[in-house]
Amino acid sequence: MIPSAMASSTETALESLHHIKSTEPPEWLVPKQELSQAVRAASKLLFSSLKPYCPKSPFDQLLTEGFDVEQIWQQIDLQSQPLLSSLRREVKKFEKHPEEISKLKDGGVGGGEKKKKVLEQIETDNVVNDDEDDDDMDMDEDEDDEEEEDEEGEEEEKERGTEEESENEGEEKGGIEDKFLKIKELQEYLEEDEAREFGLKKKKTKAESKKEEEDTEEEGDDDDEEDENEGSEDDDDEAEEEEDELGLFDGNDEEDEDDLENARYEDFFSRKKNKSSKEKAKSRDMLEEDSGSDDEQDVDKRKDGPSKHEKELDKLRSKIEEMEKANLDPKVWTMRGEVTAAQRQKNSALEVDLDFEHNVRPAPVITEEVTASLEDLIKTRISEGLFDDVQKARTSSSKAPREIKELDESKSKKGLAEVYEEEFVQKTDPASALLTFSDELKKEASMLFKKLCLKLDALSHFHFTPKPVVEDMSIQTNVPALAMEEIAPMAVSDAAMLAPEEVFSGKGDIKEEAELTKAERKRRRANKKRKFKAEAAKRMGKKA
Amino acid sequence: MSAEAPTSMETQTVASETKLESNTLPPKPKFEPLKAHEMSDGRIQFRKVSVPPHRYSPLKKYWMDIYTPIYEQMNIDIRMNLKARKVELKTRSDTPDVSNLQKCADFVQAFMLGFDVPDAIALLRLDELYVESFEIKDVKTLRGEHLSRAIGRLSGKGGKTKFAIENATKTRIVIADTKIHILGSFANIKIARDSLCSLILGSPAGKVYSKLRQVTARLAERF
Repeated sequence: MIPSAMASSTETALESLHHIKSTEPPEWLVPKQELSQAVRAASKLLFSSLKPYCPKSPFDQLLTEGFDVEQIWQQIDLQSQPLLSSLRREVKKFEKHPEEISKLKDGGVGGGEKKKKVLEQIETDNVVNDDEDDDDMDMDEDEDDEEEEDEEGEEEEKERGTEEESENEGEEKGGIEDKFLKIKELQEYLEEDEAREFGLKKKKTKAESKKEEEDTEEEGDDDDEEDENEGSEDDDDEAEEEEDELGLFDGNDEEDEDDLENARYEDFFSRKKNKSSKEKAKSRDMLEEDSGSDDEQDVDKRKDGPSKHEKELDKLRSKIEEMEKANLDPKVWTMRGEVTAAQRQKNSALEVDLDFEHNVRPAPVITEEVTASLEDLIKTRISEGLFDDVQKARTSSSKAPREIKELDESKSKKGLAEVYEEEFVQKTDPASALLTFSDELKKEASMLFKKLCLKLDALSHFHFTPKPVVEDMSIQTNVPALAMEEIAPMAVSDAAMLAPEEVFSGKGDIKEEAELTKAERKRRRANKKRKFKAEAAKRMGKKA
Repeated sequence: MSAEAPTSMETQTVASETKLESNTLPPKPKFEPLKAHEMSDGRIQFRKVSVPPHRYSPLKKYWMDIYTPIYEQMNIDIRMNLKARKVELKTRSDTPDVSNLQKCADFVQAFMLGFDVPDAIALLRLDELYVESFEIKDVKTLRGEHLSRAIGRLSGKGGKTKFAIENATKTRIVIADTKIHILGSFANIKIARDSLCSLILGSPAGKVYSKLRQVTARLAERF
C-alpha cells in the first residue's frame, strides 16, 4: 500500500468521521447516500486501526464495497468481540490491582487523570455495550466511543497490549492456558464469587477472610482518591452486574433466592424486621436495586443474625413441632374411615369435594338446543319417511305355499265316479286337468275386474285403450310342481350328510392287500388269530 | 267240444312225437280266452240282490238309470223279481268278463244301501272302489239320546259335516240310523272312517275338519 495513499485515505476517513459526528440525530432517520459512504469510510479506518490488537480476526481490511449492512456489521463484530472481552479482562485486572495502572502511566497526576478518563470511558463503554441494538446509530456510537478511546488511549492500549502479551508469554502453562484463559485468574475469580455468594451469611473463616479482603480493598481504595474508590466500587458493582448479566445469571439468581429466603426468614420470623429490604427483595427484576439491597444487607447481616445452618435447623424444628401437633390432634373427619352424618359437623360435607360412583346415567339437561335438535331430527325423519318400523322377519319358506283346500260343506254336484275320473285324468295327464274350484273362482274374479278396469279406463284416459286380449286357452294347472318338473331327488340319502371322515372310522394308513409287505401281512394274520382265540376262550368260559 | 279238443290234441301230439324222432317241436297250441259263459263250463251265473222296503220306491224311480248301464255296457241281464222283492242279474252269452256280474251286483247292492246312482256307477267304472259298513255301536256303545246326538254330530247341521268329509276324502257316506256305509277307495275310506269315528267318540266338528285338512293335504302332495 502506498503510504501517501494511506495517509490521504485516513485523512478522508477522519474527515468523514468528523462529518458523522457533526450530523444531527434526526438526519439519521432518512437514509442518505453520502452519510452511508462517510460511515463506511470511517468504519474502514477504524477497523484497520484496530487490526493489530486482534490477531485472530480473518479480515485484514473491512470489506465494504458490494456488501450490505448486515455483512459489514458481522465483520466488525467478528473483530470487536474478542477485542472487547480482552479489554474487559484488562479492566478487571486493573480493578484488582489498580497499582498496575499507575505502573503503566509515566506520570502520577497525569496518569491519574488519564486513568480516570479511561475508567469513565470504560464505564460508558460498558454501559453502552449493555444495550444490544443493531441500528446503524448504535454501531456508529460504539465506533465513536471506540474511536475516541483509541484516539485518546491508543497508546495506553498498545502498552497494555504489549504488557499483556509479555505476561502471557511468560506465564503460559500447558495447553489449557492461553491469552484468554488463565487458571490463576479463574481461581481468584471463583473464590471471589463464592465469597460474594456466602458473604451475607457469616462463614467464620471465609467471612473473616472476606472481611480482610474487603478491608484491604477498602483500604486500598482509601489509599486512592475518593472518586476512584467510588468509581472502583461502582466498577466493582457494575463489573459484577456485567458478569452477572453476561454469564453468571444463575449465581445472581441463587444469590437473590438466598436473599429472599433470608429476607423471608429473618424478616418474618426473626427479630430483625427490615421492611425496606423485604420490599426490595420481592422485586427481582431490578437488578440494580438488588445490588443496592445486597450492599445494604451486606452491611447489616455481616454483623449479627444466625448462620445458614442454624436457620435451617430452626425451620426443621418448627416443621417437626407442627407435624407432632397434627398427629396428636384427632383427625379431620375426611381422613377418618367411614363417617356418618352424626360424626361430622353440620353441612361439612358440602364444603368437601366428594367423589362417588354414579350408577345411574345423569338425567339429560333439556336445553333449547336439545329440543331444537330433537325437533330437527323428527322433521327430517318425517320428510324422508324413515320411521324405523319393525319389519317382519320372513321365515324362509322351504316349501311352496300349499293351496289351502277349503272344505266344501255342500253336497257335491259331481258324482263319485266323476270325482275319481277327474283324479285319474289328473294323474295320467296333468295338462288336460280341469281347473279346481278355487281356480274357477279366481278366474271369475279376474274377469270381472278386467271388465271394470276397461270401463274405468274408457272414462278416465284420453287415449282409449282397447279391450285387452283375453286368452281363451291358458294352461293353468294347479299341479304340484313336482309332477311338472322333477328337480328334487326322489330320495335323499344320509350318505351326503356325513363327512367322509365321519363315515370312515379307521386310523392310520390304509393299505390294500396288494400293497402290504410280508411282515404286515403276517402281523395282520397274527392279530386276527389272537382275536379269534380270545373270542373262543370267552365262549368256552361262557359255556362253562 | 272243448273237452274233446285237448284229448285229440294230445293224441295228435303224441302221434306226431312218436312219428318224428327229429328235433323240431310241434307248434304251440293257441287257446283263445275263455268267455264268461265258458268259464263256468257253459253254465249261466246269477246274482240276486234283495231290496229293502225303504228303497223300493227309489228303485222304481231310478230303474232305467240302473238298467241301462248294466244291460248295455256290462252286458248283464237284469230283472226285478217283484214277488220276491229281489233284483236278479244274469250273465249273457256275450258277457265279456265274469267280474262284470259281480260289479253289477255290487252296484245294485250299493244302491240298495242308500247310495245315489251316479255315486254307485263309480263302482261299475272303477275297480278299486269298495263299500265299507259299520255300526255306531261298533265304535262306542251309545244309548238313547247320546246315540241321537252322535248321529246328529255325524251329519252336522243340514248335513254339512258329512258333506265336508265326503268332499275332503272323495268318498260317499250314507248314515242309516245306526249303520254307516262308506263308498270309496281303500285309503279314502280309512280317512273317512277315522273322522267319523272321532265324531262318534265325541270330538267337535272343528277338530275333525282340521285333521281332515291336514290329512288330505298330505294325501294330495304325496306323489
